[in-house]
Amino acid sequence: MSLIQEKERKQLVEILKSMTNDVTIATFTQEFECNYCRMTRELLEELTGLSDKLKLRVYDFAKESDAAKKYNIDKIPATVLLGDRDYGIRFYGVPAGYEFTTLVEDIIAVSSRDPGLPEDIAAELSKVDRPVHIQVMISPT
Amino acid sequence: MDFPGIVLDTSVFSQQKKPDHETVYDMLILGGGPAAMSAVVYAARKMLSLAVVTLDFGGLMRETTEIENYLGFQSINANDLVVKFEDHVKSFDIPVSLGVAVKEVRRQGRIFTVLMEDGTLFSGKTVVFCLGERHRPLSAPGEKELAGKGVSYCATCDAPLFKGKRVLIAGGGNSAFTTAFDLVRVNAEIVLVNFVEGWQADETLQQRVRSYDKIQFLDFHEVAGIEGEGKVEEAVLRNRKTGEEKRMLFDGVFVEIGLLPNSDPVKNLVELNKKGEVVIDCSCRTNVPGFFSAGDVTMVPHKQIIISAGEGAKAALTAYDYLIETNQL
Repeated sequence: MSLIQEKERKQLVEILKSMTNDVTIATFTQEFECNYCRMTRELLEELTGLSDKLKLRVYDFAKESDAAKKYNIDKIPATVLLGDRDYGIRFYGVPAGYEFTTLVEDIIAVSSRDPGLPEDIAAELSKVDRPVHIQVMISPT
Repeated sequence: MDFPGIVLDTSVFSQQKKPDHETVYDMLILGGGPAAMSAVVYAARKMLSLAVVTLDFGGLMRETTEIENYLGFQSINANDLVVKFEDHVKSFDIPVSLGVAVKEVRRQGRIFTVLMEDGTLFSGKTVVFCLGERHRPLSAPGEKELAGKGVSYCATCDAPLFKGKRVLIAGGGNSAFTTAFDLVRVNAEIVLVNFVEGWQADETLQQRVRSYDKIQFLDFHEVAGIEGEGKVEEAVLRNRKTGEEKRMLFDGVFVEIGLLPNSDPVKNLVELNKKGEVVIDCSCRTNVPGFFSAGDVTMVPHKQIIISAGEGAKAALTAYDYLIETNQL
């Protein structure tokens, strides 16, 4: 049975038409898939089937440790969004529920290759010269 | 675990048209709660030229978790209901000004101008004013300084942050007891303080909360101050019978003492009652021709989503009648 229902499927096809460039989604699972890894892979398979501009790469976390290292993945299921470069966007766990809208928003953003920041803020941020760890806690309400 | 499903909030992706500053719209709908959204649906179906001006969609509805009294839904997540309302509104492809607050509404002849906080202006032949309500502050020393640093006005948003902590709840009505119940569920240690004698919450809700043993009830007390270095650490509670004050340690303070109408932008334009609510008749007319109001900002009793939605529809239809009667269509 499909994880994305017909109504959402149609809406997604329309939303994904606004993609201007290709986006590759890399997902990390493993041979003996846990329930969550399977759900994540199946969800992403369905999602990437809705636009020609979306590609899916499925990695085996255990067997393809070089890829895991490259994308700094230390737990699964993990989802990486890639455009012309790695923008550092990761989803851990199943990107379902409210996270699904965020996933689609991020796909559109990566596709545009534009973070949508005003020029003055982008200029300020370009001055950051070392890695900074920012942790934001949110609730859907 | 079964697949939890996906939530696709399509409003995030829609390219909304912005209202034009030059146009005089048939109707300006101010607000984004159920009254305003319902007014949009009715006005749009009359093919009026209209624009919506709001800070956000949903308003206070977004602070609730489950809604169990909206006809047709035995129980629905509040956010999901807002998304349904919003989808309905956006299906009409009307311009929406989002994210900026209304500063003042003025009248020049028959035309209303809406001055926004960022200085922009919108004009309309009619206005349907539905700006709703906001939380009433305690006005206790320290409250303003510690807002967001332990002082909260939204249990749905913040209760999980107080798991196992000591929390003061100011209020004695349904919202205070609902907040208590939210905090009971995260095992907080609660002191409930009510300014007046006794408690106003529904008996069933009171019974549910009273069965919990980590709640202390202090009626006829006031919160005389909230203190802490950078975060809430203690509060001063004054017994209003004896005048005796005591200090108690807290990690958080939830303020649930009612709501205030967002009628400031029209306080110099239309008649307000003592509570600051817009005075309307049964057709949502104010004392100013062409200016209509609906929802929680008005004097209509029982602030409920379904009542606001009905009032919004009524206001839009009355405004439409006004436009016809005054030959403005």
